[in-house]
Amino acid sequence: MPLDLEQLLDLYRDMWLVRAFEFGLEREFKKGTVPGMLHTGVGQEATQAALAAHLEKTDCFFPDHRCHGLNALAQERHAGTGQRIMAELFGRATGVCGGKGGSLHSADPSVGNFGDNAVEGSFMATVLGVALAWKMRRQPRVACCVIGDGTVGRGEFHESLNLAATWKLPVLYACVNNGYAISTPVGEAHASANIVDLARGYGLPCVQVDGNDIELAYAAVEQAVAHIRAGHGPYFLEFKTWRWQGLFSGEFRPAAEVRYWKDEHDPLKLARQKILATGRAAEAAVDQIEAEAKAQIERWIQFAIASPMPGSEKATANVYVGWEAASR
Amino acid sequence: MTAPTAPARTRTFVQALTEALDLMMAEDENVYLLGEDIGRMGGDFGVTRGLFEKYGAERVRDTPLSEAAIVGTAVGSAMVGMRPVAEIMFADFLGECYDQLVNNAAKLHYMFDGQFKAPIVVRTACGGGFGGGPHHSQSVEGWFLNVPGLVIVGPATPADAKGLLVASIADDNPVLFLEHKALYRVKGPVPEGKYAVPLRQAAVSRPGRDLTIVAYLKMTPEALAAAEVLAKDGIEAEVIDLRTLRPWDTDTVLSSVRRTGRAVVASEAPRMGGLAADVSATIAEECWSDLKAPVGRVGALDTPIPFSLVLEKIILPGRDQIVQAARQVLGAQPVA
Repeated sequence: MPLDLEQLLDLYRDMWLVRAFEFGLEREFKKGTVPGMLHTGVGQEATQAALAAHLEKTDCFFPDHRCHGLNALAQERHAGTGQRIMAELFGRATGVCGGKGGSLHSADPSVGNFGDNAVEGSFMATVLGVALAWKMRRQPRVACCVIGDGTVGRGEFHESLNLAATWKLPVLYACVNNGYAISTPVGEAHASANIVDLARGYGLPCVQVDGNDIELAYAAVEQAVAHIRAGHGPYFLEFKTWRWQGLFSGEFRPAAEVRYWKDEHDPLKLARQKILATGRAAEAAVDQIEAEAKAQIERWIQFAIASPMPGSEKATANVYVGWEAASR
Repeated sequence: MTAPTAPARTRTFVQALTEALDLMMAEDENVYLLGEDIGRMGGDFGVTRGLFEKYGAERVRDTPLSEAAIVGTAVGSAMVGMRPVAEIMFADFLGECYDQLVNNAAKLHYMFDGQFKAPIVVRTACGGGFGGGPHHSQSVEGWFLNVPGLVIVGPATPADAKGLLVASIADDNPVLFLEHKALYRVKGPVPEGKYAVPLRQAAVSRPGRDLTIVAYLKMTPEALAAAEVLAKDGIEAEVIDLRTLRPWDTDTVLSSVRRTGRAVVASEAPRMGGLAADVSATIAEECWSDLKAPVGRVGALDTPIPFSLVLEKIILPGRDQIVQAARQVLGAQPVA
């Protein structure tokens, strides 16, 4: 079912927030103001906007390493504090984890963000527990984990799908298949390049969707979430997409492939075409959405840069609950 | 909920553990159990026997052979307020869920700046001496000693088994709860009702003035047996049972060694990189001026554990090695 114009415009704004967030971050990273490592989700904005649109703050999601955008959207939507995700990536005291988590460990349970685990796929085991607790308490909530195609190789992938299906747990598996695990093509690493083929054997609904078409992605998440909330057990969604970020040393993928995904199948261009095709939105208004999103991200970056570094007492805080960390 | 008030009855180590689980499950519906064959079968060693019938399949959950999923499920449910007790059938299998314990449970509270906690207990059967072979006999505490955020508990008596398990379930930190297989059938006085043995507190199992023997798990009864042998020669050894292995109770150990001036540290694990090394080093650092001899250290030979009981006996330490180490420490001349 096609989305109405209002919904499309909202999602378009969210997608631009994600892209501007990542571009701004990349710029700052190159300047040296963002420490550590950086994995961006440029090209995968539609999946993140679709997930953010359907997950409530009483649900939970475990974001993967390219989910800065999803983290920021959830933070902004449920708490009005998207800038705290940016500050976390800058390692500042105002970040959601006070700067102790960073890009790979941002969490805020008050908006449903249960945090990334930088050992890809580990949280596929953790998500089972959240879902089990909610099932035991008869709470119709969705426990979501966002994984990449590379994570399919982890044992936890199989342990998780098996147990979620066996126990009928309310888990939404959102698999973002962007074609590569760092440099390894999905088809060379797994028995099928279509992850749904591998998941199907566990007996849960498995749906593959064009992850760059916001309408299709939105509808797929909507259907999955409804299935889970109705108590029908887990659901596996595979978003076919592509990441713009190449390797650290540069682009390694065929030129025709790059051209297709960046020029012809860019989720933002596709969304913009859909909006204009309604005939009810002026081009200037659509441009305005993009400009506003970029300006908002610049404000977030300024907030992060102006924020204090964590106090030294934080270095040894919260090692144990209720105990001081050992001094030696 | 600390000191026991009810009279003690004689119970096995396994029965003491079952009592602790039963009491905690009856009191708090957030406490639930999961693991392989813990339901109808009651666990490989019978620790969960009777609980499936009493609390049902929802709270005593049989799982597939998925150790990562078992501990991951425990962690995730603890993140939203449950208090899971997971059973990993043999400690040797902890490699399958190492990441969940080390990178997930132990770091959650810190890396998310206190927003989450992981009050889980992972019970597991460790230790050798029964011909279990290389993958059913190991002492694994050394694998986890270097992990800030994790608590490691290892009881040596039935009474402590119950009280420490109660305390571990009530504690808000992730606890790796080691149960030595050779102790499971040991009987001892176990107080009735609920009581907690505080974590991070060692016990003086036998007072003495001539030297301090620090032990834990099965080395505690071995150290007590060694103290009996030494007593025949008029040597009074003080035996300290660590009970919590990480973080361990430096106060009790160091104050004892300051008094006796001599120490032996006994562990069933290989000496390299083990808990005995950490205790010995700490004694050397903190008690240098009180020491009359170098610290003695007892551990397994630096080998995997073989199946043959004859070979296993060569490798694992016991009473005799502790006596020998004690005599060596006692015979050493004080540093001038």
